[in-house]
Amino acid sequence: MAVRKAIRGLSPQELTRFRDAITRQKALSDERGYNYFAGLHGLPLPIECEHGTSLFLPWHRAYIYFWELALQDLVPGVGIPYWDWTSDVAHQRGLPEAYTEERVNGVENPLFSTTVEWSRELIDQVLQNPRLRGTLTQEGRTLRDPDPPDELPRKATIDRILALRSFEDFSISLEQVHGDVHVWGGGAMSQVPTAGYEPWFTAHHSMIDRLWYLWQLDHPGGDPPATIMQTVLTPFPMRVADTLDIERLGYGYAVQNAQ
Amino acid sequence: MAVQTEMRQGKKPGILIAEIYFRPAELDISDFTRADLVFEKVDHSGISYEVRAFLNNPEADETTPRNRESEGYGGRFVVFGHGGCYGDIGHCDIPTERRGPHDLRLPHPLTPQTNIITVTRALEHVLHQGAGELTSVTLVPISKDPIRENRGLTEDLFKFSEVELRTYYG
Repeated sequence: MAVRKAIRGLSPQELTRFRDAITRQKALSDERGYNYFAGLHGLPLPIECEHGTSLFLPWHRAYIYFWELALQDLVPGVGIPYWDWTSDVAHQRGLPEAYTEERVNGVENPLFSTTVEWSRELIDQVLQNPRLRGTLTQEGRTLRDPDPPDELPRKATIDRILALRSFEDFSISLEQVHGDVHVWGGGAMSQVPTAGYEPWFTAHHSMIDRLWYLWQLDHPGGDPPATIMQTVLTPFPMRVADTLDIERLGYGYAVQNAQ
Repeated sequence: MAVQTEMRQGKKPGILIAEIYFRPAELDISDFTRADLVFEKVDHSGISYEVRAFLNNPEADETTPRNRESEGYGGRFVVFGHGGCYGDIGHCDIPTERRGPHDLRLPHPLTPQTNIITVTRALEHVLHQGAGELTSVTLVPISKDPIRENRGLTEDLFKFSEVELRTYYG
């Protein structure tokens, strides 16, 4: 079983293994590769991500699950860590150092940025939109412009959301906080077409998925609406009903939230 | 509860004022346990943006401090935007007609969404320490451009059909 741990709580060896998995995945240009998975969420078309409906949580659970499986094919047992942006250290220092160091031991840190493997035409199309300048460099490398750390969502806000009783209420409220963290990061992370390429995207969505898991523990039977339970989460071969039990999916979250 | 579809412009272009009236018969704090502003059919086709809500403060703008006691600040929501259209003509047109029972496709990705701001404490403050009744909600939309220094009051991003104040009891 893969255990997803807090990114700031990873041992040096665990962080090295995660970085190794990302480096190897970035070297693949096919449907096992980093650019393939990042692109499922945004450009190039089709943009597959589900936002603004009750499919938000199930779709992103399936997405991170399949992304993690692809990483495990490269480094067995590796889990996608989560970033607890409500923690005291996050509110003091912002993004975890794992993502902010440009180079590690003399080599490029794969968690610092990503170069999109798009056509020149598509990169230009995005950059010609004046309101998307700042997402990518001219060469297609992801950029950031985060807000002050203390602007991140607070634990009290999350506690209030975790206490909501209906799935729809919980999903809408958590999705809003999710969007808040996206735009907090600025740059590529702040807009749907480019967000998936930002290396801390998976840590953010691992955190969102963890919060859904915690809510599920406290609200047994709090399932998504029956009308969507058999809906297939394109392009993943899973229905909404298949996403509800993470133990069956073979992963879990570390109880110890070392930060 | 109180639904508002007609808006008037606030202090600056882009700022909207919804004249929502709410005054419970008895000003008992236990009357409601939660109060939400619910926004229907919110557009998310452009770049990301946020909307700040101020209760009983028609002069609020993007510079107004987010302070509940002094400014009536109720909260905010963020829309994670699709950032424009990258397909051919018609790619981002949202179907207006309901799909038939045999059409199993997922909703169009740009189908407008519902957003919520929970304003329980701000509304309690208005009712118990302020005017004693809610008369307006000022909505201040601020763009969330990728570059922070480019962000500011926006006139073109925030589109929605209506806003409703929902109060919950028990």
